[in-house]
Parts: sequence; structure tokens; C-alpha cells
Amino acid sequence: MDLELVFLAVPTLAKGLWLTAILTIASVAIGFNLGLALAVMRLSKNSAVSGFAKGYSTVFRGTPLLVQLFLFYYGLGQLSFVRDNAVLWWIIGDGVHCAVMALALNTAAYTSEILRGGLISIPGGLVEAAQACGMSRLLRFRRITFPLAIRQALPAYGNELVLVVKGTSLASTITVLEITGHAKRLMSQTYAILEVFAIAGLLYLLINLVLITLIRLLEARLTRHLPR
Amino acid sequence: MLSKGNQNMKLKSLLLATFFATGLNTAHAAEGELSIGTEGEYPPWSMADAAGNVTGFDADVGNLLCAKLEMKCHFVVQAFDGLIPALKAKRFDIIISGMSITAERKKQINFSVGYAELANMFVVKKDSNLAGVKDIETLLTSLDGRTVGVQAGTTHAHFMEKRASSAVLKTYDTLDQMQIDLASGRVEAAFADSSALQDFLGRPDGKDFQFVDVKVLSTFDPTLGEGIGVGIAQENTELKARIDKALCELVADGSIGKASQTWFKTDISRPCQ
Amino acid sequence: MELGLWQVWEGGWISAILRGAAITIALGMASMAIGVVIGVGCGLIKWARIFPLMLVVDFYTSVVRGVPELLIIYLLFFSSVEFVAQVAAAFGYEGLAGNGYAFTIAVVAIAAISGAYSTEVVRGALAAIPSGHIEAARALGIPGRRIFHRIIAPQMLRIAVPGMNNVWQTTIKDTALVSVVGLQELMRVAFVGAGSTRHPFIFYLIAALVYLAITLVSQGGFDWIERRLRPRTRK
Repeated sequence: MDLELVFLAVPTLAKGLWLTAILTIASVAIGFNLGLALAVMRLSKNSAVSGFAKGYSTVFRGTPLLVQLFLFYYGLGQLSFVRDNAVLWWIIGDGVHCAVMALALNTAAYTSEILRGGLISIPGGLVEAAQACGMSRLLRFRRITFPLAIRQALPAYGNELVLVVKGTSLASTITVLEITGHAKRLMSQTYAILEVFAIAGLLYLLINLVLITLIRLLEARLTRHLPR
Repeated sequence: MLSKGNQNMKLKSLLLATFFATGLNTAHAAEGELSIGTEGEYPPWSMADAAGNVTGFDADVGNLLCAKLEMKCHFVVQAFDGLIPALKAKRFDIIISGMSITAERKKQINFSVGYAELANMFVVKKDSNLAGVKDIETLLTSLDGRTVGVQAGTTHAHFMEKRASSAVLKTYDTLDQMQIDLASGRVEAAFADSSALQDFLGRPDGKDFQFVDVKVLSTFDPTLGEGIGVGIAQENTELKARIDKALCELVADGSIGKASQTWFKTDISRPCQ
Repeated sequence: MELGLWQVWEGGWISAILRGAAITIALGMASMAIGVVIGVGCGLIKWARIFPLMLVVDFYTSVVRGVPELLIIYLLFFSSVEFVAQVAAAFGYEGLAGNGYAFTIAVVAIAAISGAYSTEVVRGALAAIPSGHIEAARALGIPGRRIFHRIIAPQMLRIAVPGMNNVWQTTIKDTALVSVVGLQELMRVAFVGAGSTRHPFIFYLIAALVYLAITLVSQGGFDWIERRLRPRTRK
């Protein structure tokens, strides 16, 4: 490996690291809440509400993220009512905003499936006991259902977070200069394909390693009362 | 666990067999056949239709060249910034894709003689305050902080990185994507060769746009190259000699000029020097 | 019309989209098949903890699952890794039209990704087989080969089906990424159509619907297989 090239590539790609982190954090923050809402909707007795949540999850999990991204960025960007609406154009008109939206809507679908699994796993007796104690619905959700569901869902959600980090690389296809975008530009300047993509790959591995470690620590904390 | 051991042995030998199979020497394209890498999405140079047939100036040059060399041609469509890596990986024998000859690219591959040359220009909205700029230096300084679209891996991208680094550069895999973003207002200006932009201005979505009246030539900055050439793998010196000779003849007898008239309404051919 | 439905029809894009969908399905199936072979091999290695090979497999699965698929595909397509060119040559794609060649490279890339996920599924399925079953079989003096065929393989197959369904769905969606490097599959046709007609909305919408149809139909298929493989229990 050419050392001079490494010194050129590392700082350039590190510039993209910020945007990759921002894309991940913003889309996870939005996607988690949306996913939680969808998971709760999914368990609703109203079939229209649960049907909507199921349909949403099917559509977003059944199509490639790249298609969703292009449909939002180029597809919606073509429609004049989107361009003329200030709020919509703020989202669709900018590559970063649009990528966050697509990633958030996409991860929400997967998150809803994961959290639904967590919610179903809660023993009915626990909820009934809380009911018997006179807890309100909201309090029950906050104190009993939600924390238990999260603990159950955490390992699977950790995997989903890794998928979101990997998904941010697609933002490079709509002109966003995150790690992959910088890597591609650097490649067309230096043609040092292997070196550039290897360094970019290492950065992603590093992010994911940090993320997985954090999830493991959180998991250990949430299950600290359990015997080992 | 004997059984598992056996399974693994089998698998291992299968894997090994696969690896060794790949060690066989790669034979080159059959004699008398020439595969040509081209972008396929760069009108009027290179356009691939839904069925994968390539037309345009590049296709004409390729077909003329093959007729001259008495070889059979076929086109391979590939994104522009992947053309050079793909040539090096021997996905095809030569590149004909309106590619400018530059010092950077020469480190990677060989080029034929330059057979065409075209001015590079900016396109902006008619009501933009850049529209009236008349000289290149003013233009480059007034791009400061503005979003400019270019195609990834092109001389235009390298030129912008070098000469207008304070502009916000957006790179696109294809010219179509760049033009869609220009029309929707995501980029304020686009930089490409005049023929490609002329094509955009002639479309319905290009009606509110115009050229900035500044022709950026390769004499202004060497990053813009030394005319357009055929890309050839570095080790293929014998093929280069034959292609150079054929191209010089095709320029001299006016065949390339004629093809140029068809697609550009002007003669962009560049005589051999 | 703003949406451009007419251009889709008039430009012959419908048949191009269908051809692209066929290539997508073929690419998905070929990659999945190779991925399963990789998965079974590497899964067995991981499960049995065969020492030096295990490290190689661990490296392979962690890298592939931790690095964006797009980056892996760029690397394989753009790099002049002779390996890929030679695999294509070994399959007789030398000098053939670009699509055959691109298809082979795409299969290599997607199969490598799919194989890493399959490995985890197979390993998980093997780990889920109660060790008592194998111990009992050995105590009865059943030869190793038969233990594998009669005890391990059938159980593994059943346990692995839902996981393999997930891998298949991911694989078919990953094929869309190959469009960025030029194979004329479904996403690429939509991409070229969107560019040349200037109607991206309708083209990407159609592409999304075709992908959805593919994933829904295969979901149905996997559900059927799962029902067939479920052990029959007396009620």
C-alpha cells in the first residue's frame, strides 16, 4: 500500500465521517420514534390502524432502499407541487435532508417489526398486575411494557443500527459527500481503488464496532439484575 | 465428529478447485474482434437505448475505426468513472466515450492521438447574475459558494476541483441526473462540454437556461486535456499503433468530420499533429 | 402529462423493465444458490470450530456484514482484481457481450454478501439442534455420515428456513445496487429510463412495485415451504 496515498486518503475520508454520523443519528432518532408508533399501531384492535402499519412495513421492507431513495430524490423532485411547496422542497430539495428522510422511513419499518416482537413477548400477567395496581394506560406503557420490550428487542435492534450505518453509504448516489461519496471522488482522482475503498471500509467497520460495543454495554446494564 | 470432518474436507477441496480454476490464464478477446467501452448516457456522444444498442458520435467513431481495422466491434456500456478501471480489468479492449486525454489518465492507460476537440461551457438560469459574465477569471471567482454540477470522474470535475475549489461541487454518475437537478434548481450551474449542454438547452426542461458566454478551452488549463482520444490498455502498444494510423486516415479523409456534422452540426475533428 | 405514463408505454420501456426484472430474478437466484453453498460450508466450519479455517470465516463474515454493500460492489467492479475477471473467464464469458461479463461479476459480488449472511443462519441453525440428538445417535453406533444425513441435515434445514427467507429478501434487494455499475437489471433500466425520458417518478415507482411483487411472491413461497417442513405432531 502506498503510504503517501494513505496520508491523503485518511483525512479526506474522515471528512465524510461526520456526515455519515449525522445521517445515522438523525435517521435513527426519527426512525426509532416512528417505528415505535408503528409497532403500537400494529397491535391495535382497530384493523384499519393495524392494517396501515402492516402495509407500511411490507412496502418499505419489500423494496430496495436505493429505489426508495431515488423515488424520493429524483422522483418527487420532478413533481411541481413538491418544488413549489417550501416545506416539502426543504426536505426533498437537499440531498442530506432527503437521505435522512429515506433512511428514517426505511429503518422505521424494520424497527416496528423488532419492537413488535419485543411488545408481544411481554407476559400478560405483568400487564395485568400493573392494571390491578391502578396504573393508567400511559404509565403502564412507560413503566412496564416499553422498558421490557426494549430489553427484549435490544440485540436485534443493534443489528438494525449496523444496517442503518451501512445504508447511509447510499446517500452518496444522490450527491451527498459522506464516506462513500468522498471515496468515490478520491477514486476518480487517484485510481487507487483498492487502497481508497479499503480505508473507507475500515472506517465503517470502526463505526460499527463502536456501535456494537455501546449496545452490548447497554444490554449488560439493562440485564444487570439477572443471574449470570 | 468424523462426518463433519469429511464434509469440510469435501468443501475445502471444492473451494480449492475453484481457486485453482481461476488461476488459468485469461485469453484475450478473439482475433479480429474489438470490444469498446462507452458510457451510453451522454448524448449526443454515446446513447444506449432500452435494448442496449449504442448510437451517437462515439458509436460512429467506433464503427468507422473497426471498418478501417477490418475488425468486428461490439459495445460495452459502463458508467463514465468506471471506464478506466474496467479497461484495466480487461472488461473491454478500448474506450471510446468522448474521453479527453489528460496527464492524470495517462498514468493509468494509454491514449490514441487526439481526434476531436470541443469547448467546455457553463449553463445557468437565464435570470442568474452569472448569465452575463464574459470572461473566465470573473466567472471562476463569482462561483464562490455556489453549487455547481459536474459529471463524476470527468475533466470538468477535475478542473472545478483545481480552479474553483470554493464552489460547492456536486458530482453525478450521469449527465441526465445532473440535468434533472439543474432543472429542479438543486444546482445553480452545470459545467460540461458544449455539445452535451446544447442537447440539454434544446429539451423542454432546458428552456429557462442559457450558456454563459465563456468558452473554456484546454489551452486555458491542462486539466482539461489534449483533445479527445481512444483509451487503450498500457501494454497494448501494437493496437495503439494501428488505431493511431487508422484515426489519422479517418480524420484526413473527412469521415470523422462527417460524423461530427451529423451529431454536432459542426466539425469538431482534430487533425493529426 | 406530468407523470409520463405515455412515454413509458411509447418508448418500449415496458418490455425493457420486464427483461430487467428477469435479470434481477436470475441474478438473485444465482447469487443465493452460491451464497447457500458458501453458507453451509462456512457455517459448518464455524459450528465445528475448525481452527485455522474458523478465523478466515470469522474475518470474512465480520468484514462483509460490517462494510456497506455498495462499497463491496464498487471495489469488486472497479478494481482490476484479476480474480473476478478470471472467474468470468473460467465460465466462458471471455469476449462475450458486456452483460454476460457484468452478470458474472455481479453474481460474485452479491453471492459473497449473501454467503456471509447465510453462514450466520446455518451456524445458528446447527447450534439450535439439541446436542442430545447427536449424542444419542452416536451411542447407538450410527456412522458419522449417516448422523449428518439423517439427524443434522434435516433439522438444520427446517430451522434455517425462516432465516434463509430473510437472506433471500436481502439478496434480491441488494441486486439493485449492481445498477450503479451498469448491469442492465431492473433498477438500471428504471435509471436509464428516468434519465432519458425525464420522468423519474413513474420509472422508480414502477421499479418499486416490481420489487415489491417479487418479494411478496417469494414470501408466499417461503411460507409454503415452512408449512411443509413443520414436523407433524399428534394433537
